[in-house]
Amino acid sequence: MSETWRLALSSPWPRWALALLAVAAVGAVLLAARGLAGEPWRRRGPLLALRALACVLALFLVAEPSAQLLQTARVKGRFAVLVDRSRSMNFPSGEGGAPRTDVAAEAVRAAQAALAPLGDRVAPELWRFDREATPADAAALGTGGRAEGGSTDLLGALRTVAGAGNRRLAGALVVSDGTDHASLAGGLSVAARDELRALGVPVSTVAVAETAPKDLAIERIAADDFAFVRSTAKVEVTLRARGLGTRTVELVLRREGTIVAAAQVRLSPGQERYVVPLSFAPERTGTFVFTASVPVQPGEAIAENNTRSFVLRVIRDRVRVLLVAGRPSWDERFLRGILKQDPNVDLVSFYILRTNTDDPGRQEELSLIPFPVAEIFGEQLRTFDAVLFVNFAYQPYRSLDIERHLPGLREWVRKGGGFAMLGGEQSFGDGRYGETPLADILPVEVTDGSGLAVEPTRARLTAEGRRHPITALATGEAANEAAWAGLPAVSPVNRTRPLPAGSGAQVLLEGTVDGHPSPLVAVREVGEGRALAVATDASWAWGFVAAESSGTARAYQRFWTSALRWLVRDPDLAPVKVEPDRPSVEPGEPVGAAVTVRRPDWSPAAAAPVVVELADDEGKTVARAEAAAGPDGVAHLSFAPPRPGAYQLRASAWNRCSGAACPPSVAPEHATGAVAVRPGPEDADAAPRPELLRAIAEATGGKFTTGGRSPVLPFVEPEAVEIGGRKDRPLWDRGWLLAVLAGALAGEWALRRRWGRW
Amino acid sequence: MRRRDLLKLALVAAAAPLRAAAEALPDASRLVVGQIQHGGRWDPRPGAFRRFGWEVARRTSIETGADAVPVRLGAPGLHRYPMLYLAGDGALPPFADGELAALRRHLQYGGFLLVDAADGSDGSGFDASVRRELARLLPAAPLTRVPREHVLYKSFYLLDRQGGRVLAKPWLEAQTLENRLAVLYSQNDLAGAWARGPLGDWEYPCTPGGEAQREIAFRLAVNISMYALCGDYKDDAVHLPFILRRRS
Repeated sequence: MSETWRLALSSPWPRWALALLAVAAVGAVLLAARGLAGEPWRRRGPLLALRALACVLALFLVAEPSAQLLQTARVKGRFAVLVDRSRSMNFPSGEGGAPRTDVAAEAVRAAQAALAPLGDRVAPELWRFDREATPADAAALGTGGRAEGGSTDLLGALRTVAGAGNRRLAGALVVSDGTDHASLAGGLSVAARDELRALGVPVSTVAVAETAPKDLAIERIAADDFAFVRSTAKVEVTLRARGLGTRTVELVLRREGTIVAAAQVRLSPGQERYVVPLSFAPERTGTFVFTASVPVQPGEAIAENNTRSFVLRVIRDRVRVLLVAGRPSWDERFLRGILKQDPNVDLVSFYILRTNTDDPGRQEELSLIPFPVAEIFGEQLRTFDAVLFVNFAYQPYRSLDIERHLPGLREWVRKGGGFAMLGGEQSFGDGRYGETPLADILPVEVTDGSGLAVEPTRARLTAEGRRHPITALATGEAANEAAWAGLPAVSPVNRTRPLPAGSGAQVLLEGTVDGHPSPLVAVREVGEGRALAVATDASWAWGFVAAESSGTARAYQRFWTSALRWLVRDPDLAPVKVEPDRPSVEPGEPVGAAVTVRRPDWSPAAAAPVVVELADDEGKTVARAEAAAGPDGVAHLSFAPPRPGAYQLRASAWNRCSGAACPPSVAPEHATGAVAVRPGPEDADAAPRPELLRAIAEATGGKFTTGGRSPVLPFVEPEAVEIGGRKDRPLWDRGWLLAVLAGALAGEWALRRRWGRW
Repeated sequence: MRRRDLLKLALVAAAAPLRAAAEALPDASRLVVGQIQHGGRWDPRPGAFRRFGWEVARRTSIETGADAVPVRLGAPGLHRYPMLYLAGDGALPPFADGELAALRRHLQYGGFLLVDAADGSDGSGFDASVRRELARLLPAAPLTRVPREHVLYKSFYLLDRQGGRVLAKPWLEAQTLENRLAVLYSQNDLAGAWARGPLGDWEYPCTPGGEAQREIAFRLAVNISMYALCGDYKDDAVHLPFILRRRS
């Protein structure tokens, strides 16, 4: 603390009045000079001197000047050391060099050493920053360690530091590699430069890296959020190569381990970025993790950015259905009506309208077309989601050679297709399918020539049928039983037998044939595909005939709509469904997931226990969360932010249980989803930007240095501020001043009288 | 024996088991027409549907019933026959409201009604009374001419003419529900052209076109059956190039 003197005026007169008096005093002197213009200098001089002295003294007394004594102190400004803790700081400082975090730690220690002697002028502060700036601990920043920030905002950090605390900022030192993903991403713009200067302090900078290491990276993947199954999907992969000279690398795109596309990329020294288009046709619906990768090159500094994953949701634009009917019938007619009404179904139909024994007349007068068997069951088969055989026999049409395509049809189902066989006199055993490849996928056992049972029979739910979505006509087990019991009996029924346990087949509805239970509707999981058997050609009675008494055909519509959705694995028809809140999240953000659980009767499974595991691309579980479904059957779970990469969400839900009271014997239902944690810009580009740091220092009057050199730390000197009381000492309050004034006036009067100047 | 004959014989032999199985089919698996009984002369051409079924089965893969089955609109069981037939000779007494409601429900749920004026009337007799009843049946769907491009005329045969015992009108009319023909009306006595006597001879001559006109009546029967069972199948895109080529 110190004392300071200051001159002050204590007059009660306002300042303007004092100014007028001063003008009047000057006027009085000038008037006197004019009046004495003819006098010799020996007379004029003393008279003017006495007049001037009197005016000055009069003004002095009126203004009442005083001396003020002030107590002052110097307030130290803050000197902020900002250390970059974004993930790019984990990269090497140069080829074969130490990590940038280590160089930064060394710079922090050097800055602390440089600031120590300046303790009476500035107060040092330590900050860490990435996308945000926070006060930091000297011990933590002085030892390096792994940086985790997902992006960098240099200007934002300086803005935060300048506005923090009560004291003003005197100077700053930024220790960074210069990468920025905010307002300085494009360089130091005019606006950014002005904002930096507005801080009013010199910002010095330390570049912890100056040269880009040898690196091949997948910088960016441009892909849509969803793609259509069996349609070409396109992605654009941006590769960045530095210091790799001329060579060819292979870019590979995988879907959960399976290669779906690849391209050769020729690298050359004059080019840094390569945009590579890749295209593929997803064959299955669902949410999948796709991973693009390039091999790690010898001497490459960073291997992690050679791989990048994204999540793609593969959906259907429309379900493509092939309906093949052995002859026109009411079963085909009403089923076609349902399929044609559904805007989500793209129906392709082929009906056998005449057999070789029919005699319709001349071919030219008919609208009939040849059945393109080879085209439909050959190259076009993969374009369909489901194939329905409605009372269709392959055997009578030897010239069409349909039998040749049955093995292909079986394999198509095993690879994910949906197949349904509907009954009639040309179907199942009467269609001689018992000895064909289709017998391997049919959900019932077929004996050739077993014939039709014409005795009408009602459909009864089996134990499996009570909890299967296809046969869920109403909510609640009793209501569902009643709904089926209320439907008309059907006739005829194809004689078939249930498949043994372990075949993957389930009988959902059964009727009575020859006095014994016989499958009416059965389903089977076949590899990745599904098969359905409806052992009658009179299921239309559940709609049209039922409508006569009940006034509704809803049961028939719901049965077939559900059957088709089940056949094509419509995700909405699964008892458990897991979806991430967002298909991809930013690094550092938590991963949220919603699990929808339905009971066997398709009602929301309130309070059902749910477990979700987060598994990395090697299948290793990295996180696990448990929850109970809410009243709407949906459980929401959240995982702590995982590292960048793609993850599979594996959900298990006990949809037959409520709360924790779930016996161990109850098996859960499972579902999978996928989520990607974006690698973020920090991981993609290892190139430092020392030129940006240099520009910041130059714009603010700071100093730029590189890692390993002692930093020079300019700052704004502290200001002195009044912190105590003040004392006034009057200067005018002197008797002799009044006497001198009176003497000056009296002297001028006396001389004028003597020299006759009145 | 020529090679073609041998092949034909083999095909017939291969299809024989199917035909045998078909003969034991219940009505739900066949095209069995329900013939509506009413207060007037509801069955003016007895036996016509035996011939109808025989001809349709002979020419196409459709399995047909032996004859039409009489049905009453107010009685249960109407929906066992998705295709109904309404004929008359002379004026048709009005249907009761309940009967019309049952028929309306049948059609709204996907049924099909063929109406045939056995008296060949135009503006009187059966024609006048059935137009009155059809207007009551579907008041929001008036009878309109079926355009020549309609799938009905290409559902099996490529047709551009009308058939029947007479040619009262060279077109068919229809009432449409949800873009499908729910009611099809012929004033040309189709069943009169189909009907054979007990000795196998045609019961009625066809005028003015003679046997060609009768053949068209049978072809129309096939196309109507195909339309009832397959809907707009022949409007599917895959058929269009073939049909256009044949029509040209």
